[in-house]
Parts: sequence; structure tokens; C-alpha cells
Amino acid sequence: MKTVEVLEGGLASTIQDIGRSGYQAEGFPVSGAIDIMAHRIANMLVGNDDDAATLELCMLGPKLRFACRTFIAVAGGESQPFLDGRPISLNKVYSVKKGSTLSFKPMSAGRYGYLAVAGGGFLTGLVLGSRSTTVRLGLGGFKGRRLQEGDRLPINECYKMASLHFRELTSKKKNRSAKNAEIRFIKGPQWNLFTSEAQTNFCKNFFSISQQADRMGYRLMGSRLSVPKINMLSEGTVLGNVQVTREGLPIVLLTDRQTTGGYPVIATVIAVDLGKLVQLNSQQQIHFKKVSLDEARSELVKQADELEKFRLFLKEYRYHYPIGPARKGAQKLKVLLNEKG
Amino acid sequence: MEYDYQFVPVGEQSLNIVFPEVIDAAENRAIQSLARALLDTDEGIIATIPAYHTLTVNFDAFRTSFTELTNKIENVIKNHALLKNDDKKHIIELPVCYDEEFGIDLEAVIKYGKTTFEELVRLHTETPYLIYMMGFMPGFAYMGSVSEKIAMSRLKNPRAKVPAGSVAVAGKQTGMYPIEAPGGWRILGRTPVKLYDPAHPEPRYHAGDHIKFTAISKKDYYYIQKLDLKGSYELKELV
Repeated sequence: MKTVEVLEGGLASTIQDIGRSGYQAEGFPVSGAIDIMAHRIANMLVGNDDDAATLELCMLGPKLRFACRTFIAVAGGESQPFLDGRPISLNKVYSVKKGSTLSFKPMSAGRYGYLAVAGGGFLTGLVLGSRSTTVRLGLGGFKGRRLQEGDRLPINECYKMASLHFRELTSKKKNRSAKNAEIRFIKGPQWNLFTSEAQTNFCKNFFSISQQADRMGYRLMGSRLSVPKINMLSEGTVLGNVQVTREGLPIVLLTDRQTTGGYPVIATVIAVDLGKLVQLNSQQQIHFKKVSLDEARSELVKQADELEKFRLFLKEYRYHYPIGPARKGAQKLKVLLNEKG
Repeated sequence: MEYDYQFVPVGEQSLNIVFPEVIDAAENRAIQSLARALLDTDEGIIATIPAYHTLTVNFDAFRTSFTELTNKIENVIKNHALLKNDDKKHIIELPVCYDEEFGIDLEAVIKYGKTTFEELVRLHTETPYLIYMMGFMPGFAYMGSVSEKIAMSRLKNPRAKVPAGSVAVAGKQTGMYPIEAPGGWRILGRTPVKLYDPAHPEPRYHAGDHIKFTAISKKDYYYIQKLDLKGSYELKELV
């Protein structure tokens, strides 16, 4: 097996996949990529399955050196990647050579990015069925911790990538700098315990992400909500749950969240808006909007359909007319034009 | 099933089955039993998370929906004979050293219960405790119920660091801290057994099992710790 060497660890780079979902009842946080869509897109671009492990980078990515040929794609926040010193685009596949280096500038927008490598992703050992890292438990990923200088991450060598020059996601241009962000939610299990005033304020007021924001959860700031005066027995937590603490401030529970919680849950952020939420900066204003369970579900289906369309596009592109040498020439021409431009 | 319950959506991919909000061993056993039964069905259920009075069910939203799944769960509840009386009872013995070096709050709890050290140890080791749920971190078992006499409520200001292995009470609950963590439970002693090991993370006990504490000397504490580190200490199963 070949490796990628870590020359600089970056701020909080970890190996992540789609998480270990079957062990929450035993007290294991699910973990996995905090922006699961970006993780999926990066994997899809390089032809991996969803559950292949990617490298999750936070704010400032790592510096890496590849010990073999392969193909890479970076997705998620604006991580400004450089391949052998030249800037490369997000959401696009690039070929890397033996000895190539990949580095990042501090993110200009967003918080989390994903590096996928072809040939099945990062091949650290499976722990309880997943390669995800849970840093506070020293579990999974690469030695259960954030990446450091000198680490060697196992990957497969990869020489071929079908329709390489068309493997790019162009459709989505995200406006990451918008001042306000609408985040949709469905009523949480304890919604009815809150006063109607607290319910209205939750939807009407603006919130922003505080300094206490990590993979466990984002504490929000804003005007305080009145909290129901009850002592709840702890119950299982769900991704996107919005707990309200005794001080009346919401916390959005994310991928490394504690497995059980005893604060009342006013809302659950719908799955398709979680990626947007986790990438917001602390200046952006969050506005919560209530939607029905049906709407949340149909949004999820819509998102999955779009992703599937993109997967088929990548798969079928190489069979588009014209097939054969002419097509190969077209790809080469495209590269030459890009290089000149 | 003799318990009232209702279904509450928690997300587009999760729901809660909510039973009466009490700490009750029989009710909790019914929840544990239902949690297992649901995992055995092929209805798109991904995970179940039993707690004191709730069962959280995560499901594949592309295979089923809230309405469809709740109908099916209702049928499972109706047809599941074991719900009322699931008798498979595992009792696991866990050695605890109630030395004052480990039991930081021994004095406070003795004072609270107007009791003696010997009586406190007797009360805490007397009966097996049911694991109502696992949570907080791997290996942290929420168990009950301890005797009123030592059921001291948690600290107002949690400690920044509770040592790994600490055995503690919080009201009528008792539990162990598998790794060093912040916490406000009243610490009575420490177990030499490693309750969480990232290299072998498979849990040594589960929700629905029982734990019976047994008091050991400091000498035994270090002896068992040594054995356990070598991987040659097995938890004793009493039943």
C-alpha cells in the first residue's frame, strides 16, 4: 500500500467517513464528516463510494506529499488548495504525481473541507465498522487523533480515471458570504413545552454562531429564549437537534455530539440545511424557519435525486458521442486551452 | 403492552417512542426489549437508542416514512410477546476500591446519609443495578436505583476532571466514568478495570445488563489493574 505523507497537520485535520451509526446506543458518538454532502461530492468526483474515508480539514488545511500517482478532489468550504504550488479549483478532479504536494491557504469562506483520493479513499483501519475519527475518545481514523507532521496515511495507487477532464461539479455556485442564512427546521420533541412566546422568538430572532463551535455542536448567540422549568430525563440525541440550555441559548448538536442529552430540544434542523449551517461564519445571521415533516422529507429526496443525477452524469459521460480517438483529442485540446488560458 | 406510549417525530430520519416519564425498571426492560426487536425487523431501521423512558429510532427516509414506520412499530409492539417480561438477566460483577484516595466524596456522602463508611459500602454493593441506558461516553452506564441514604444529588459545580474508573452516585443513579472527563457526580471509589479502550472499543456491558459492585482492597485494586492491562482479567458474570 502507498501513502500520503503529512508535512504539516493544519488546524484540525481528521479522517472521516459517514460515521459509525450502529453504536450510539452503546455511548459512541456517530462522528463522520460534519458536512456530509461535501464529503459525498468529493468522493463521487473521484469515483469512490459514499463510505470511503476522506480527509476533513478545518479552516486551515494540512500540507501533504503524495508517494504515488492518484487522483484527488477537494470539496466543501473555500479552502484554496494548491497542487505543486499552483492554485486548483474546488469540486474538480486533478491528477497527482508521485512527489506532488498539496497545500491550502486559510479558508476564505466556510469552515470544513474534504479531500478525497481515488482508489477507495484513505485506508486507515476500520473501528466498529467506520474509519471516522472521534478525537476526544482517541477512536478511529489515524491513531484516533488529528493529523500531525510525519503521519503517513495509507492509500491505493491509482493510474486511471475515466473522463477525467469532465469530472467537475459546476452547477452549484454557493453564495457563502450572504449576510443572512435561512435554516429550516421541524418541531423538536419538546417544542410543545416551550411557551408560544419562546417559539415565536426562536423563529423571529436572529442568531449567530459563537466561539464555542466544534464538531460536537455549535452554541448560538442571540436573545435568550425562556426555558421550560422542567427536569427532563436524558434521551437519545439526533443529528441537528437544537437544545436550549438553562441560560436560554440554543445549541445545534452535530456529528460528534454526546449520545444522550437532558436539555429540551426545541427543533431539529432539516438534513439538507445542515451542510449550510456548519459552513457559516460567526458574522452571518441565522434565521430559523419552520417547515413540515413532509417538506423536510421531500427536500431530502430532492437533494438525493440531484446527487444521483450527478453520479450518472459522471458515469455516462464517457459514452457520449463521439466516442474514440476524436474524443481523446478533445480532452487534450481542453487541457491545452486551459493551460494557455 | 401495559404502557402508554406515543410517537414523536424528531427529524425526517428519526422518531421517539415516548413512554411514561418515570425511572422504572420494568418499563425500561420493555423499552430495551423493543429496541432489540425493532433492530431485527427489516423496515429500514438503522439504529435504536433506548433511554430511561424513550426509544429513539433512526430510519432510512428513502425506505420508509414516519407514518409508515409508526404503523409497523405498532404491530411489532402488539405482537411482541417478550415485551412485558424479558427475563434474560445478565449480572456482571465489577470490583471497586472504596479507598478515600479514590472516593473523593466519601466523607460528604457519609455525612449526607448520617451513616458510616462500612454501611455506605454495604448499601452501594448490596444489590445489582440495572443499566437503564448507556450515554455520555462509551462505557458510561446510567444505573439505578441506589439506596435513599446515599442518594446525594450531584455537585452544583461539576469538577473539570473526574479520573477514569471513578464510581459515583447522582441522586438515585449510579455509574462509572470510563475515561477522564468533567463531571458532577459524587465519587465513592474507583474500579481498576479499564472500561474504555480505544484499541478494543467493544463495550464490556450493555443497556439492560445488571452491574453488581464488589468492594476490594487497595492491594487487590493494583493487582487487578495489572492483570487487566495485560488483557488477562475477565469480568465475572454472576448469572
